[in-house]
Parts: sequence; C-alpha cells; structure tokens
Amino acid sequence: MEVFQALQRLHMIIFSQNVSPCGKFLAAGNNYGQIAIFSLSAALSSEAKEESKKPMVTFQAHDGPVYSMVSTDRHLLSAGDGEVKAWLWAEILKKGCKELWRRQPPYRTSLEVPEINALLLVPKENSLILAGGDCQLHTMDLETGTFTRALWGHTDYIHCLALRERSPEVLSGGEDGAVRLWDLRTAKEVQTIEVYKHEECSRPHNGRWIGCLATDSDWMVCGGGPALTLWHLRSSTPTTIFPMRAPQKHVTFYQDLILSAGQGRCVNQWQLSGELKAQVPGSSPGLLSLSLNQQPAAPECKVGSARGSGDPGRPGCVDRSVTTLLPLGPDSRRQQLQGGCLYQSGLPSFLPVLLTSSNTPTSISGV
Amino acid sequence: MSSESSKKRKPKVIRSDGAPAEGKRNRSDTEQEGKYYSEEAEVDLRDPGRDYELYKYTCQELQRLMAEIQDLKSRGGKDAAKQKVDAYHLQLQNLLYEVMHLQKEITKCLEFKSKHEEIDLVSLEEFYKEAPPDISKAEVTMGDPHQQTLARLDWELEQRKRLAEKYRECLSNKEKILKEIEVKKEYLSSLQPRLNSIMQASLPVQEYLFMPFDQAHKQYETARHLPPPLYVLFVQTTAYGQACDKTLSVAIEGSVDEAKALFKPPEDSQDDESDSDAEEEQTTKRRRPTLGVQLDDKRKEMLKRHPLSVMLDLKCKDDSVLHLTFYYLMNLNIMTVKAKVTTATELITPISAGDLLSPDSVLSCLYPGDHGKKTPNPANQYQFDKVGILTLRDYVLDLGHPYLWVQKLGGLHFPKEQPQHTVIADHSLSASHMETTMKLLKTRVQSRLALHKQFASLEHGIVPVTSDCQYLFPAKVVSRLVKWVTIAHEDYTELHFTKDIVEAGLAGDTNLYYMALVERGTAKLQAAVVLNPGYSSIPPIFQLCLNWKGEKTNNNDDNIRAMESEVNVCYKELCGPQPSHQLLTNQLQRLCVLLDVYLETESHDDSVEGPKEFPQEKMCLRLFRGPSRMKPFKYNHPQGFFSHR
Repeated sequence: MEVFQALQRLHMIIFSQNVSPCGKFLAAGNNYGQIAIFSLSAALSSEAKEESKKPMVTFQAHDGPVYSMVSTDRHLLSAGDGEVKAWLWAEILKKGCKELWRRQPPYRTSLEVPEINALLLVPKENSLILAGGDCQLHTMDLETGTFTRALWGHTDYIHCLALRERSPEVLSGGEDGAVRLWDLRTAKEVQTIEVYKHEECSRPHNGRWIGCLATDSDWMVCGGGPALTLWHLRSSTPTTIFPMRAPQKHVTFYQDLILSAGQGRCVNQWQLSGELKAQVPGSSPGLLSLSLNQQPAAPECKVGSARGSGDPGRPGCVDRSVTTLLPLGPDSRRQQLQGGCLYQSGLPSFLPVLLTSSNTPTSISGV
Repeated sequence: MSSESSKKRKPKVIRSDGAPAEGKRNRSDTEQEGKYYSEEAEVDLRDPGRDYELYKYTCQELQRLMAEIQDLKSRGGKDAAKQKVDAYHLQLQNLLYEVMHLQKEITKCLEFKSKHEEIDLVSLEEFYKEAPPDISKAEVTMGDPHQQTLARLDWELEQRKRLAEKYRECLSNKEKILKEIEVKKEYLSSLQPRLNSIMQASLPVQEYLFMPFDQAHKQYETARHLPPPLYVLFVQTTAYGQACDKTLSVAIEGSVDEAKALFKPPEDSQDDESDSDAEEEQTTKRRRPTLGVQLDDKRKEMLKRHPLSVMLDLKCKDDSVLHLTFYYLMNLNIMTVKAKVTTATELITPISAGDLLSPDSVLSCLYPGDHGKKTPNPANQYQFDKVGILTLRDYVLDLGHPYLWVQKLGGLHFPKEQPQHTVIADHSLSASHMETTMKLLKTRVQSRLALHKQFASLEHGIVPVTSDCQYLFPAKVVSRLVKWVTIAHEDYTELHFTKDIVEAGLAGDTNLYYMALVERGTAKLQAAVVLNPGYSSIPPIFQLCLNWKGEKTNNNDDNIRAMESEVNVCYKELCGPQPSHQLLTNQLQRLCVLLDVYLETESHDDSVEGPKEFPQEKMCLRLFRGPSRMKPFKYNHPQGFFSHR
C-alpha cells in the first residue's frame, strides 16, 4: 500500500551504477536487489519532464543488495549477494528480462554466502575479477565462465579493486586496512601497503578500513577510515594527504584531477597537490559510488557537465532521484567539451541536483 | 268710397314709388311729386262719372270671368282619365307593397332554420350501417333527401330512447352496489376489534416462545418515521445482524411524535415564529444582538438533526462494546455518527493513551483518508456560506462525525462533482459496504483497546511482549525503554530527525505521535513514532536519533538508517499472530535489540584507552558487510545469531 511503498523508498540505498556502452542509459542497483534503467538522453534533455526522470524499467535482479556493477561492450554484469549475473544491454529494456548467465565463485565457507563488493574487468585477459566477503579475489574467464584463480591474503573482507594497466596488476583494498597488489600472471601478492600504520594518514577513530581505491599506474589514491591519501606506488610512500574529514567511499582519477565522494553531500575535486579545487554539492547526505561516462553520446553531455547519479530521492516527492549532474569545475563549460561525464550514487535522501551548463540546479528522479 | 280708395291708393302708389327712391329723395322728390301730380291731373281731366261706369263695368266683367273659370273648374273636363290614372297608381302602389311584403316573407322562409339541423346526426354511412331497415328505408331515402333526413331523425330518436333506458338501468345498478359496499364495510369494521383482542391474547405465548414479534413490530413501526438514509441503515444493519453477525444489535431512539410533527403543515409554527419575532423586537431595542441571534438561529436551523436516531451496538470478543449512534442532519442531507466504547471492566487510562479511545478520534480514518471533519456533501458549502459557517469541523463534537462510510451505510452517494439535491438512499450501496465496515469497526475497537493496555505497560518502562512473539527476539535484551510519552503533531514536525517523514507526507494531523526513549549505559536512543489511525494494518513509523559519542541520525550514520529500515520496512515479520495487535510492542522490542547490537558491535577505537563500554555479547557471524559497512541487525531464530540482510 502507499505507506509501505513510501517507507521502502525512504530507506532505499543505491549501491552501484553503470553507464551503458552507448552512453545513453544508466543502470542503478539498490539494496532491495532491484536494478533500474534510466534513459540519460531523456532525463537530461532540455525538455525533460518529471516522467522522463523516472526509470524506464525496474526489475528484481538479485535476492540481496546489488553491490557492484560493471559493463562490457554488450553486457551488464551485476553482483551482490554472492552471485554475479550478466544481462544483455540490448535486451535489458524489455519487460521480463532474464539474466544471460549467473555464476557463483567457489566459496570456502558455507554458513553465510559472502557478498561481492567489487567487480573489475581485465580487458587484456577478457576476464572478470570478483572480490568481497570471503576475503579472496576470484578471477573468472568471461568466455568460458570458469573460475581460474583465487587470490587470498586479505584478513578481512575486500571493499574495492583497481587495475594497474601496465603490469598488469590488481590492487585491492579491504576492511583489514591494507592495500594489496597482485600480479595477475603469477597470481601472487606483490606488494602490501598497510595504510593505517602510517601516522600521517591514519585516523583511528574512523577505523582502518580502506573503502576506495584508484590507480594511475604510478600513483594510487586510497581512502576510507584513514584519510584520503595519494601514494607513490614504487616507493610505497604517501605523498599527499587530502584534508577531507569524512571517510570517502569512492575515488577516481579524472584527467589531472582526483574526484572523491563519501560521507557528506559533495563530490570533491582535488588537484594532485592536495588542494581542493571544487566541491560540487549533490542532494543526498552520503555518496557511495562514482562512475564516468566516456561516451559523449547525448548532446547534453557535451554541454552539460559531470553527471552524478544520486539516490532515491526525498520521501515527500513521488520521484526518486538518481542522477546528479555536476560540473567538473567552476568554468565547467570549457572543460566539459571533451564529453566526459561523471556519476555518483549514494544514500537516499533529498533530490539530487542536476546542474546544467548554466550552473543552475534542476533535478531528475529515479527509482 | 272709390274715390277715397283711389285717393288712398294713389298716395300709396306714390309712396311705394317714392319709398325705394327715398335715398334719392332729394333728387326724385320732384319726380314723385310729378307723378302724383300727373295722376291727379289726369283725374281732373276725365269725367268722374264715366270713370265710375268704366270701373263698374270692368268689375262686373271680372266677376263674370271668374265665375266662368269657376264653372269650368268644377265641371273638370279631364275627370275620367285622371281618375283612371289615379286608380292605376293606387293599384300599383298596392301591388308593390304586396310584392315587398311577399319578398320579405320569402326571405324569412328561406332563412328559417329548423331545430332539427342543430342536432348532430350520425354520418350517412354509419346511419345506413346501423339503423334497422324499417327506419332507414334505404330505397325511399336514398333518392329523397327529405325522407332521408326524416329517417335519420327517426333513428336519432330511437337511439336516444335506448340510451336513456340504459342510463336508468346503470343508475339502479349503482345504487345496489353502493348498498353492498356499505354492508361489507360494516362487517370489516366489526372485525378489527376482534383481531386486536386475539393479538393481545397471543402476547404471553410470544414471550413464552422467545419470539418477540411485537417488539420487532414496534421497531418497524417507529422505523416508518425514519428519514430515508436512516431507514436504509436500519434495514441493512438489522438484516446483516440477523444473517451474519449475532453480536450486532440495532435500536431506534428518539421521539416519534417529534418526527411526526415534522410533517405537519407549518401554520402553527409560523404563527409562533412571528409572535416570537415580535416579542424579540420589542424586548431588545438595539439592532445588533438581534442580527447575531438570528444568524445563530439560522445556523441551528441548518444543523438541525432529525429527532430519531439509530443506535448500533457492536459486541467484541472480549465483551467490550462499541456504541454507535447515527444521526441524520435534515437540511444538510448527511448522516453523522457518535461513538463510545465501553469495556466489560473499568479501564484505567494511562496518560499517553488519552486519545486512543476518545469518542472524537476512535473512528478516525477507518478507511484511509476518511477523517470525518469535513462534510461529504458538496452542496453544503453553499448552504454554509449563507449562514456563515466556515466548516463543519467546529460542530462535529456536538453533531457527530460525517464519515464517508457512514454515508455509504445509509445509502447516500455523493458524486464528487455535482451536489446532490434529492435524497436518494440506495440499499445496494449500503449492503456492499456493510460487512467490510462492521469488520473494520470491530478491528478498530479491539486494536485500540489492545494499544490501551500496552500503553499502560509502556509507561512503566516494560515492553509487553507476548509469549507467542518471544521467538522474534534474543533471550537477553539489555537496552531498556525508559520513557513513553505522547507528543503533539507540531512538536513532531519540528524535530530535526523527522524531516524525511514529514516531507513524504506521512505525518498528517490525523495521526498520533509518541516519543520513546531507550537507554543503555551512556547511550540514549530517541525514537519518534507516528501512529496511523489505521494501526496494525498500517504500521507505525519510527525515526531514530542516537546520542552516544556524538549525535547520530539517519543523515550521518548509515547504521541508524539501517535500524530504521529494520523496524519500518521489515515490519511484517513483527506482526505476530493475527490480528496483529502486537506490532507496536514488537517494534519497540526490536528497537531495543538493535540498539544492543549497534553498541556492542561498534569497532574499538585503538587510540582511546580503556575497555569497550559495551562488550560484545551477541553472536554475530560478521561485524561488517558491504560497502556501507552495515552491522548485523537481523536476528535468526532459533539459532540465535545475528546476520546481515
């Protein structure tokens, strides 16, 4: 009934989102296990109405929350409660869409099904790396669907993964406070950085967990319980500490900036020197993920700016906002012409703000 | 003589000659005098004797001639012809006169209308068809219009005679029948008292057999005076009570005489009114109070209730009774209801439960949105404007609440666009809603009574969990409920952690609001509760604010949000056995359990010295899970450990 639905919406959390390969659609997964598909071109166009900001399709994908999503050329891969499922982007808008396949990595424990917190695509090998509650990294071959490797070394569950393209190496950050680097060819742990042991960045009152990771081959930025820090990988030393009090849940490199988001409303743009370049407010009280849309498919992308996908919107309104559009900088227009778009997702609360090129906030609604 | 006369004549002549010439007297005088003198001269010349002879001879001749003429005249030489002409003339005149007379007579005759033409005779064809041959005599009458008309007149006469005969017969029949009717009437009127005496005699038999037909009959008698909506209500509820629900009892209250008086011609009342008006004007000299008093009177008139009302008693399982009295407002054409709950044992009302069973709000929102403060008849707005009533809300305490389901039970249907002018009380509308409404009423009373009892316990700090709901919670719950109070709607909306609920429109003014305080050690958890009038089918909504090492609400702590979600969204597990009266207490108990888990699973801060304030006693598989690092709030029975959803 109405009250129950309103309550459900109030307590919805969107954990993950991903952009379609063509750049026109956004998929978002929430804590009830549903995936909603939004049409970005409709929602961000100049004639966008309330209706066009609602999801085009919503379907029950998993039994548990959908914690992570990645997208290949043709497939959307979503993972949450222990399983990874694949959906065809071409079919996903139709009603009654069924998953293409589902796989479950071989878990050690059987008492509780561990969640999958992070998915990572390794294009060179055409494989998928899953990491999560069982403290291991599993590699799955996308063609055959078999699980090839299981890398273990973390003592507590894994939060996030990042790919270092050159080597190729995978970085993983976990609840145990360590960032571990793994060599994919030898399947061994190459380097360990225990962030909490470094005094400059550790914040014991927040805990030691590493919530987010991003790497730029030589550099790595990580945050979470400890402060957001930029590390030089070869020497394993922290070079810059970003003065952000709230624990960050997602961080990514973008051009010459570092974007981070976490507890708190804003997407922060940092320069590599540690200065805060811009703080762009969204409308939810906490943000959980960011994603970049590299395809300037819709014309708005070119003129508009970074888009963030927010969370279920404010209870009072019928709409549940999903997307927030944020300019990447004060002179956003000039910067955005390259067409990169940024998405963020997080906790439910108010209507996220959609900022167009004129920097006036509007909002689009979602799930 | 003659000379004198001649002399006389002469001056006359002269004078007559001289008269016209008087004007010219001066000139003609001499001439007249000449004439006069010439005649006299002449006379002197002649011989007077000769003149005398001449004169005499002339006169004699004259006489002789005159006599001749006289003779001729008297003889009349043309006598015969003249007489003939006269005679003919006379004849002609006579004849002409006669002709004229005859012509007049002829025209009179021609214009004569005989009376027989004024009679409407039957048409020719009909005549020939109907008349018997001895009257119609077709061969004769066909050719001869005179005979035809005669025949027709004959036939007319014949017909009239026959009809007169019939008429006399009918009259006599009528007399007979009237007499028969009289006789039968007398017979029947003598029967009535005999039947009455039989009825009286049967009363003791009825009582003996427990079939109170008389009583029911009396009810039906009074029911005849009910206004249509109340009548529909009465009929439907009696039917429903007899067929489905033996715990329902219906009665009619009020004065039947007054109801009858409503239909009397208002002459007496008008006189009274005018008298009273006159008195009023005399007694009060200032104008304003009279106006106000008149307006007041008009309002009272508009809100007047029908003197009869239907009383419904719903008995619930635990012997508590819901008394409903239904009234009909005549001018507004709506029905209202007043409710009262009586319990088998006397209830001691805890402070926070004040509003639960109050007659004003116990039936609020029986159906979602039906708050009963506004009149459901759109036409009433125009009537209110005339007498200056803003809304019915001010009068509901006195008049009862005009809930929508009450209108439906009385068969009154108000379409939303058009105001309804005629009172159409529809039985089918009433019947279709009867069962649902009765069931809702019973559940409402029972849930309110259950809440009543629970509140009494909650105010003492004990969360009353029944034995069949114990499995939902672990055996040991350390957090305690310290306070349970009712708060006002405005206070709720001003709390800083309830903004989401208010903005979602879930906190209206028909809801009841409470504040609970759960404590453990130094941690204090405030919970603001929204209780919807449709409680237990609509769950109460909790919003939390934890004060422990800083203030944590759903804005800044994901785990508080998860706790709210556990209590608000996953309420179905907490419903307990049907009917789910235990929902609120189970939610409160779960809240205590969640607080326990939260405090015990808080990761230890290595930099701060000292042991954890709350050692972990709960069995948890994992402390954190997922990117938002949720605590394990889900309790698993019977294993007794906590896991994540």
